[in-house]
Amino acid sequence: MQDDVVIELKSAWKIFGSRDKEAMEAVKSEGLGKTEILERYGAVVGIADCSFNVRRGEIFCIMGLSGSGKSTLVRHVNRLIEPTSGEIWLMGEDVMKLSSTALREIRAKKIGMVFQHMALLPHRSVRDNVGYPLEIRGESKARRWNVSQHALGLVGLEGFEDRFPRELSGGMQQRVGLARALACDPDVLLMDEPFSALDPLIRRQLQDQFMALSEQLHKTTLFITHDLDEAIRLGTRIAIMKDGRIVQIGTPEDIVTNPADDYVRDFVQNISKLKLIFAHTIQVPVNDYVPAAGEDLGQSPRVSEDVDLDHLVDIAVTTTQPIVTTNEKGEDVGVVSKDRLLQGIKGGK
Amino acid sequence: MVEETTVQNTSSHFPDVDITQSVHDFAGTKGEYYATEFKRVQKSSSGYCWTFNLGAAVFGPLWATARGLWGLFWVFAVLELVVIVMIGQGLWGDLGSDKFARADRLQTNYERMIERVENAKEEGDEQGVESFQKRADNLAAARDKALAEGELAQAGKTRLLIVGLVLLALIKAFEGFSANIAYERQYTTWRTDSTVRSGLSWKSGLLGVAIVGFVYIVTLIRFTSGDPPDYVAEFPIDNRFYLGVAGWIDHYFDMASRNFAFLFSGISQGIRIILDGVETLLIGTPWPVVMAVILVFAYRSAGPRVAIFTAAALAYIAVLGYWQESMATVALLGTASFLCISIGIPLGVWFARSRRAYNFARPVLDLMQTMPSFVYLIPIIAFFGTGKPPGILASMIFGLPPIIRLTTLGLKEVPKDVVEAARAFGATDMQILRGIEVPLATPSIMQGVNQTIMMCLSLVVIAALIDAKGLGYDVLVALQYAAKGQGILAGVAILFCAIVIDRVVQGRFKDTEKGG
Repeated sequence: MQDDVVIELKSAWKIFGSRDKEAMEAVKSEGLGKTEILERYGAVVGIADCSFNVRRGEIFCIMGLSGSGKSTLVRHVNRLIEPTSGEIWLMGEDVMKLSSTALREIRAKKIGMVFQHMALLPHRSVRDNVGYPLEIRGESKARRWNVSQHALGLVGLEGFEDRFPRELSGGMQQRVGLARALACDPDVLLMDEPFSALDPLIRRQLQDQFMALSEQLHKTTLFITHDLDEAIRLGTRIAIMKDGRIVQIGTPEDIVTNPADDYVRDFVQNISKLKLIFAHTIQVPVNDYVPAAGEDLGQSPRVSEDVDLDHLVDIAVTTTQPIVTTNEKGEDVGVVSKDRLLQGIKGGK
Repeated sequence: MVEETTVQNTSSHFPDVDITQSVHDFAGTKGEYYATEFKRVQKSSSGYCWTFNLGAAVFGPLWATARGLWGLFWVFAVLELVVIVMIGQGLWGDLGSDKFARADRLQTNYERMIERVENAKEEGDEQGVESFQKRADNLAAARDKALAEGELAQAGKTRLLIVGLVLLALIKAFEGFSANIAYERQYTTWRTDSTVRSGLSWKSGLLGVAIVGFVYIVTLIRFTSGDPPDYVAEFPIDNRFYLGVAGWIDHYFDMASRNFAFLFSGISQGIRIILDGVETLLIGTPWPVVMAVILVFAYRSAGPRVAIFTAAALAYIAVLGYWQESMATVALLGTASFLCISIGIPLGVWFARSRRAYNFARPVLDLMQTMPSFVYLIPIIAFFGTGKPPGILASMIFGLPPIIRLTTLGLKEVPKDVVEAARAFGATDMQILRGIEVPLATPSIMQGVNQTIMMCLSLVVIAALIDAKGLGYDVLVALQYAAKGQGILAGVAILFCAIVIDRVVQGRFKDTEKGG
């Protein structure tokens, strides 16, 4: 299990300001809060005591509103921002102990990054943009061209190699950004709100494309977003941030069914639960179920206890009987009545 | 019916905004009064209404300072000063005092003359009596005339006094009527900006008293006393001080130029070597070759129209015999620009990186650009003597700032996220500078290059004053002998050089913009 952890942050803090070190000491010894630090040291807390780990192949989403510190947090992984305190581990290496040369090496070979505003080089062609990470590593032009051809193929942009970024639409530009991040075949992808600046339709398309690519390439991904829908669609696990702190980490289902506090509850309230909650979460054990008048479990449709609510609804509309769920051996384990199903859709248990 | 309701909605149906409390907070003392008056001012649709502030009328500028209206203070103070001088002259002025003094002198002479008449009478000198009596009569006439003139001036005093008093009343009225309007404006500003002065401040009132007192008293002395003390009328100067400082500067300049002679002559030598190279290229090469190269270059970089203009300009220069001088000027200019660019771009890069260095350099750059060229020609002569290398140095003082500034500006305007992206992919600082920052800043840098060349050109002409030769020298000679024809011909030759260079460089600049 431990070998599987690719990115790990241990109690990372970032305090902005000229007196950051003093403020950090005060936080450690006195446990000062955000407002006190601002008052006493004129320093702003960017991220506070953030710990999490990302496992191999996982898409780990960090979700939070603007100003919650999520973009600051992701920049700690490749040390674009230096933490004030805490540890950062990347594939078993202590990133904080790396020399600047070793750090550049890691950035160039192991990490690909995608930015909210694309950050393409406006004076270079699409091909040269995608080949830029390789150029930094000193690869030959021939190799750069081959690799960018391949990466652009992955994101479906063949034929645009010799255009300038400004000639492309926003969605296409971000695909160039993704291709550039994939060009050096990194182990880790850092995506800082990559789809936020795009309109909803294009965003949806790019999410789908990204998921397909992810299936195919199995890159460990740290994905920043302010959109919970996006986090739930893409994330294997989600961390929710507020005011620089991580309030909750869990699978999308965890977050939706067990919000850690009112803040998270507010967020998940309007999220569609249909694809996030499964029969086993809402079912009543078959032995405890008391059939109402006119119900006969013998005539009930049988379905696996691992199907989601969406599927259950489709079945429920075809029958008057409650639905019986079965385990992998085909034994009856639970019953989902219509009342239960409606409660489940509303998010209750 | 419908119309009526809409009209009502827009005028009377909204409740009044109650400013009473906030005006109290603003005005401090006499809040009630100002609340009422401000409401009246705000109700008037023209922005003006008849509201009279007695305190402001009586105390005038002192009221304005105490209330923190410094702009109004200066207006009131200057207006009052004028009438106070008038009234002061009317009351105590020594108008006509010179006439009375003259009358006194004449009276003394007259008495003396009468004495002589008496003496002559005693001695029985008929002729003497007659002539002395005649002189005495003349003196008396002159005395009476002086007295009359003095009295006339004295009478003018009363007129001055009356006009002064009338004006004072008018000014006081103006002060009283404008005070509340201005104060209401101050209040409106204060509502959004709490740093605006509010309330009644004795401290600032006392400062007003001090200023007004000093200004009024000294000015009154100057204008009312017939013979004001010298130190009031003119700044007391000690000439020895001036000469001493000038001598001291001379001394240290001489010492520096002696002790660092190796440095100054080294710089001169370095510039000389580059200049010689450029001059050989431009003047040593046969003129048809140079012309052809210039034409082709103009055509390639700026198109056929500029090439045709260039051909015409070159023809003018050559036909009027300015070829040698023009090439000498271009050589000076080329050397100066080359040095500016090769020093300025690295400096610009440094200043873009280091905020501290830029903060330190900015006033120096400002100074380099604002200092009149005549002023810095002097230290340059002192250290480097006269001739072409000092001329180039003088041009560089003027030509360096634009290239430095625009390089810094261009680099600072490179999008931060692009630089961050490059860093995220492991680029070194040098790779970022070469591959991203400089290419993206190129339009700005090229603009800097163009400006630098133009600045250098203007200075290269002025540098003729310190014997840098070239076309500027022809203009200088023409100026000295008021030779209009020669001067204009040489001036037009300079103009053509400037236009051709500007067009060609601009043409190249547009090229890079297209490519970028």
